[in-house]
Amino acid sequence: MNGESMENRKETLAAIRTAFPEGGEVIELPGGDIQSFRVDRALLPELARHLKSDPKLGFNLLADVCGVDYPGREERFEVVYHLASLENGHRLRLRVPVREDDAVVPSVYGVWKAADWFEREAFDLFGIRFEGHPNLKRILCHPAFRGHALRKDYDAGQRWLLREGEQDEPAWAHENPEDEDHFETQVLNFGPSHPATHGTLRIVVRLDGEVITRAEVEIGYLHRCFEKMAESHTWNQVIPYTDRLNYCSAMMNGVGYALAVEKMVGIEAPPRAQMIRLILSELSRIMDHIIDVGANLNDLGAMTPFLYMYQAREEMYSVLEACCGSRLTMSYVRIGGLSHDVPDDFVESVRYLLKRIPKLVGEMETLITQNRIFRDRTEGIGTISAEDAVDWGWTGPCLRAAGVAYDVRKAYPYLGYETFDFQVPIAHAGDTYARYLVRVEEMKQSLSIVEQALARLEPGPVIIDDHRVALPPKEMVYTEMESLIWHFKLVMEGMKVPAGEAYGFTEAANGELGYYIVSDGGGKPYRIKVRPPCFAIFQAFPHILKGHMVSDTVAIMSSLNVIAGELDR
Amino acid sequence: MGNPDVKATLPSFGETGRSASASRQLDGSPAMLTTRLEAMIDAARKNSLWPFPFGTACCAIEFMSFMMAHYDVSRFGAEVVRFSPRQSDLLIVAGTVTDKMAPVMVRIYEQMAEPKYVISMGVCACTGGFYRAYHVVQGIDEFIPVDVYVPGCPPTPEALLQGVMKLQEMIANGETKYQRTVAAKKASGA
Amino acid sequence: MNARDVIVCDPKPMRFWQRFYLIEVGKGLAVTLRHFLGNLFARKYTVTVEWPEVKREYSERLRGRHILLARPDGSPRCVACYMCEEACPAECIHIEAEDVAESPTVEYEKRPKVFTIDLLRCVYCGFCVDACPKEAIVMSRTHEMAFASRGEAIVGLEELMQKGPYEKLDLGYRPYYGAPRTRIELPIPVKAPEPTAVG
Repeated sequence: MNGESMENRKETLAAIRTAFPEGGEVIELPGGDIQSFRVDRALLPELARHLKSDPKLGFNLLADVCGVDYPGREERFEVVYHLASLENGHRLRLRVPVREDDAVVPSVYGVWKAADWFEREAFDLFGIRFEGHPNLKRILCHPAFRGHALRKDYDAGQRWLLREGEQDEPAWAHENPEDEDHFETQVLNFGPSHPATHGTLRIVVRLDGEVITRAEVEIGYLHRCFEKMAESHTWNQVIPYTDRLNYCSAMMNGVGYALAVEKMVGIEAPPRAQMIRLILSELSRIMDHIIDVGANLNDLGAMTPFLYMYQAREEMYSVLEACCGSRLTMSYVRIGGLSHDVPDDFVESVRYLLKRIPKLVGEMETLITQNRIFRDRTEGIGTISAEDAVDWGWTGPCLRAAGVAYDVRKAYPYLGYETFDFQVPIAHAGDTYARYLVRVEEMKQSLSIVEQALARLEPGPVIIDDHRVALPPKEMVYTEMESLIWHFKLVMEGMKVPAGEAYGFTEAANGELGYYIVSDGGGKPYRIKVRPPCFAIFQAFPHILKGHMVSDTVAIMSSLNVIAGELDR
Repeated sequence: MGNPDVKATLPSFGETGRSASASRQLDGSPAMLTTRLEAMIDAARKNSLWPFPFGTACCAIEFMSFMMAHYDVSRFGAEVVRFSPRQSDLLIVAGTVTDKMAPVMVRIYEQMAEPKYVISMGVCACTGGFYRAYHVVQGIDEFIPVDVYVPGCPPTPEALLQGVMKLQEMIANGETKYQRTVAAKKASGA
Repeated sequence: MNARDVIVCDPKPMRFWQRFYLIEVGKGLAVTLRHFLGNLFARKYTVTVEWPEVKREYSERLRGRHILLARPDGSPRCVACYMCEEACPAECIHIEAEDVAESPTVEYEKRPKVFTIDLLRCVYCGFCVDACPKEAIVMSRTHEMAFASRGEAIVGLEELMQKGPYEKLDLGYRPYYGAPRTRIELPIPVKAPEPTAVG
């Protein structure tokens, strides 16, 4: 899944050793799903620059930064960085341990801008300070919050109340840059309850006339503590929580999580389960893009296409609900497979959808694609260059619209994507219109994948026959003592995942959805860090906004497809 | 754990409904004129609800389904979604409300036009659901009075329609928290 | 990535006539007009389900309100093993066990004295059904619920127990699919079926 070989690792090691010789404070850790290094914090900025600038290494994408708390250790916290090189496809993990009484790590914001919000999050939830970060303050929890929530000694139920008037304001909101000749600036507040924020975000902008000169985004209004909750539930119980991350395409979150855990356990779901996961994932991708494109148009004043396309979603709900029993939050995936087989007429009904969706999407294209009003409002709006997009950690359709052909399904195939014939759509403009075009094309590609997968759907089991992982079939539980014992054990204690760590990543609707999982060998996860694609995308938003009009804010924001559930977790 | 300051600003909920007090004259005979008028106003109110969609999370997606052509809430006279609290009288809280969001919700509720009603959609808004966590409000009734609770995670659009119908029935019978508070004030002669 | 794997979808240039709004607007209006007239006269395109007269039929896997099944003698099948309580991620199930006075078999020596589910906590994930070793708790297709208070939503044994023949209950998510609905009806039926003449 991570597409690396021993040669790859050796080359990377050699390239690192040219600057950081053996015996220093950059130590390679043996094994692991991804090549890992333990780094002394003093060397981190230098190493980061080397990793990015050395052409042999070329780690240009900072996928994730997160903290892990090990209360028993002398160096209590560990900051974990996940890097990727989009050119040579290699992945790297850096682990930087720090002591509790001196929890300071130099910021890598100067090397990868993507570190901006990820470092703030680690500061918020663990209290690790990042020296040199331009705006180090809480990001998910509210300002009246005391303590650091993801530390192991923080009680999961301990709440702090925020009162009216205690909300955070950007420092510059109170400055008054006006002088005698110029008195047209003002501060405008969008959200957190605003029709165009789709969920709960807040944007504060400073306007000069109608042009935005400065912006700041506040998130965390939907911080539902997914990561803390996951630590107190068994591995399978986490699945309903993952459904509620990106709720527009719930299936894909569960698939990504299950794949990551399966990688740690060393099992693989049966072929039929994999194929069903793939079909439903691609359907979910279409559903997600329908919501995103539809909402984008809706915000620009075109409600009709959304109304028409939503019917496709309703019909997809029918299929999903017949598979798992819920329209939106599916809880269908289990570690090692799926909870049930699909109904008998699954194939026919998906075939019906394959005919129906192009019709509805085609109608939308007639209405919108060459519509001059839409093009005038979106072309050249919210433009980002390919380098900037990678630097900010963008992935998914938004990155591809900027001209970078990076898709996890092609670069690190999983679920057998390498055997399917599909193309990755890219565009070069990097603006709102390009993102629209990429999404529309992606829906068509997904339909083609589903069609191919339906032809290959073979009968067979849908869950692994291993009673240490999956619940035994019910008829065996009712009749056999041994199965009953396994059943009890699995429900009471949960399955066991061997101690270790893994970073599993899949291509969700918004981009690379990563799960960094640490297990201590018990029945519950020790730490799960989600790398939400839109978190990285949205941190660039205030920077894109500069120079645009107020009305463009809405167009840009909905084209980025910010899903609050995934953004704030 | 509630916020005492916020609670203090809210009207207390009276226990006596209008059927017991306001619809009767002092001597006990039915008050024909006012009853009819109020019934008429209530009928108008219940059939033209103006919802404010306070959509925060997954439930907001099902709220979209509820608004869209397939379920089409305009058949119940509640399709005029207003994003300004001052133009709406029904607050539909769809999704998880966090501690960071709670003051915003209270402010929106306070700004809404009277009489105002609240539907709490989905288990997160009702009780916090399975997020028994450090940043999640354990039921929005910590902060604002709720008339109808719609369970489900998220509720199907049918369930929400059921909730709207239940609310309409409650408005007709004068059973909503707001109407009861007003009736109780009237009864006590304030 | 090979060049073959990439499809470039840059914007198409605007043609001369597309620069005028009118033709594109006309094309758009044709689409909407088709829907409008189709809805108005033929009702062919109508997608609105006439709820509550017509109910959209969900599958027999729908995860709705819970049901506690009964044994033939009317006592609950539940043996108070606490499995569902353990499996519930929302911790919405509360069970208190008591010993059965005259146990007919060794198998049933306990029964629930208290069994409550907080329907406003439950996330309807179906894990309790998966966890039950006695097929005592299953889910129904009742999903249209609304409560006026939080207390009303905490349901106990009496409300949850469903007696009567298995087939008559509107069963949803459960371990066995007695007669699974084999048709996912698409497009979704929106109108009530014509009443068939009895005879």
